[in-house]
Amino acid sequence: MYIYDGTWEDLVKVISWLLKEKRKPFQIKEETQYENNLLTPPFKPVINKENVIAKNYFPKEVLKISYYVFLSNEKDKELIIYYFLLNSLKYQKNVLYMRNLKCVNKALTISNRVSREAHKWKGFLRFKEMQNNIFFAEFNADNNILGILANHFKKRLPKEKWVIKDEKRDILCLYDQKNCYFLEGKEIKLDLNINNEEKNMEELWKSFFKTIAIKERVNKKCQQNFMPKKYWPNILEMEDEQ
Amino acid sequence: MTLKEKLEILADSAKYDASCSSSGSARKNKNGIGNGAISGICHSFSSDGRCISLLKILMTNCCIFDCKYCINRKSNQVRRALFTPEEIATLTINFYKRNYIEGLFLSSGIIKSPDYTMEKMIETISLLRNKYHFNGYIHAKAIPGASEYLIQKLGLLVDRLSANIELPTENGLTLLAPDKNTSKVTEIMSFVKKKKSKVFTPAGQSTQMIIGATSETDLDIMSKSSNLYQTYQLKRVFYSAYIAVNKDKNLPSSKMPPLKRENRLYQADWLLRYYNFKVDDLLEKENPNFNILVDPKADWALRHLEEFPKEINKASYYDLVKVPGIGPTSAKKIISSRRFFTIHFSDLRKMGISLKRAKYFILCDGKYFANISCFQKSFITSNLILEEKEEKKERVTQLSLFYEGK
Repeated sequence: MYIYDGTWEDLVKVISWLLKEKRKPFQIKEETQYENNLLTPPFKPVINKENVIAKNYFPKEVLKISYYVFLSNEKDKELIIYYFLLNSLKYQKNVLYMRNLKCVNKALTISNRVSREAHKWKGFLRFKEMQNNIFFAEFNADNNILGILANHFKKRLPKEKWVIKDEKRDILCLYDQKNCYFLEGKEIKLDLNINNEEKNMEELWKSFFKTIAIKERVNKKCQQNFMPKKYWPNILEMEDEQ
Repeated sequence: MTLKEKLEILADSAKYDASCSSSGSARKNKNGIGNGAISGICHSFSSDGRCISLLKILMTNCCIFDCKYCINRKSNQVRRALFTPEEIATLTINFYKRNYIEGLFLSSGIIKSPDYTMEKMIETISLLRNKYHFNGYIHAKAIPGASEYLIQKLGLLVDRLSANIELPTENGLTLLAPDKNTSKVTEIMSFVKKKKSKVFTPAGQSTQMIIGATSETDLDIMSKSSNLYQTYQLKRVFYSAYIAVNKDKNLPSSKMPPLKRENRLYQADWLLRYYNFKVDDLLEKENPNFNILVDPKADWALRHLEEFPKEINKASYYDLVKVPGIGPTSAKKIISSRRFFTIHFSDLRKMGISLKRAKYFILCDGKYFANISCFQKSFITSNLILEEKEEKKERVTQLSLFYEGK
């Protein structure tokens, strides 16, 4: 059993070391998550430049897919990444087409799932303006997509101050018109009183939402297909539907 | 009149426009607010199952025209409203900051003259782009009959510009929209085609046709679309099932919009754009309408069974996309994978390719999914019709056709 500190950088380091040393891991786990087990005591390798495979040895696309797998909630994601990277040493970029290999297929499927969920939330996230003029949004996702969302909104709303909260993991991203800061819920207390104008704006949006539907074409099943119920608690205009 | 009332009137009158896409523009945020997402982003779905990505409104629903199918025709007694440029700009910005929308879709009834209307629209959009530094997606309707220099000006401000052809034939237009004529619309289209660049309508142009208000066949409609795609390089033709909002002796009285027909037209439209199909492949003079029971590609395949089953490990790209159930994405996956290994049915499943319909038309490494004696028209047809019914139960017909796709 090998352990890493929970960050992407450290995971890549540990895997690169395993690959260089030609060791086959039985398990790779986050430090904080491993359960003490006398049979397989945890091992944290000492890593230096010489005993790992350089990061730029892996094709960019392969690293990106691995990173998305890392963000997923898949149980054995570290091992999947290990085997995916192992195969990429042999096949380089072509590994992306080797769907007949179980680990490749898994990595591609999971990475797809993560990017699809992030894409959905890029659309469904709803900000509210608080009294202090900070925009606040919460979401509830299966995978750890806060970083992807933060990056998206940093480009889009660079001149606002905003906070995005991942409810499930209780982590937040604060943006101060310049940088993103990632915090745990317990590290900060937010003043969540909404701005006076906010209710007004919400009413305008809700009435637009109702008006834009063509009643001769109503098809709630189709609506729910594209916007499944699990998103509704965070989507303002669906409040009245529940 | 309150802002909310105005919004209700002017969203209500804009809702019949089918276009919703926000894709095709990668506009960067230049020191302001907003940017374009090349793949487009859907922000919500209304109760009719259509995607909402833009604040879709008319600038005004006052109109000097009297088109028979239109709710805003001059002779209708409806409440009229007019947004000021400032109102539209602040609504857009406020909705955008809350991530309700990807941008603005602005159309308008015609007030005073086409030029006057266009000038007002340009004023609104300039305000957004220049005062509010808004770099999100903007789709504007060009007003037929407006001067070229105004279209030029508007095209430089927006991501997509479109002019609606409204009806598939000139006869239909003369009958229902006596104030409009096709050539004014196509003049705009050829101008936009000529000028299109990274700064002029980067997301290109689209148009819309009303389906079922006049007597055209599917063949007429598809021929028109194919012609529009070829001549003006449109990104999309949207089809809008006719909804009876007015009574007129020249209009059909049916209450139900022809949704299934609209769906078939969208399916066929994709076959023209991404699958290398020609209108003649899909429809013929003796049989000018689509089969309601099976989709156009399956219908074609059933009429050309001699071309099937196709060997997945050998068929060319354009042969692969002819297989019902296999689209461009799946075909590309197959081609890039089979260089490295022989593809079996289980591999297709792993690639996430649905075999529901495809399995009747393919061989994997020489094998058919069932006994090859099943490869018969009657067997496949009945199964495909069953599949479609099943699909309708669980998925409903509007499908992902309102997405722009890649």
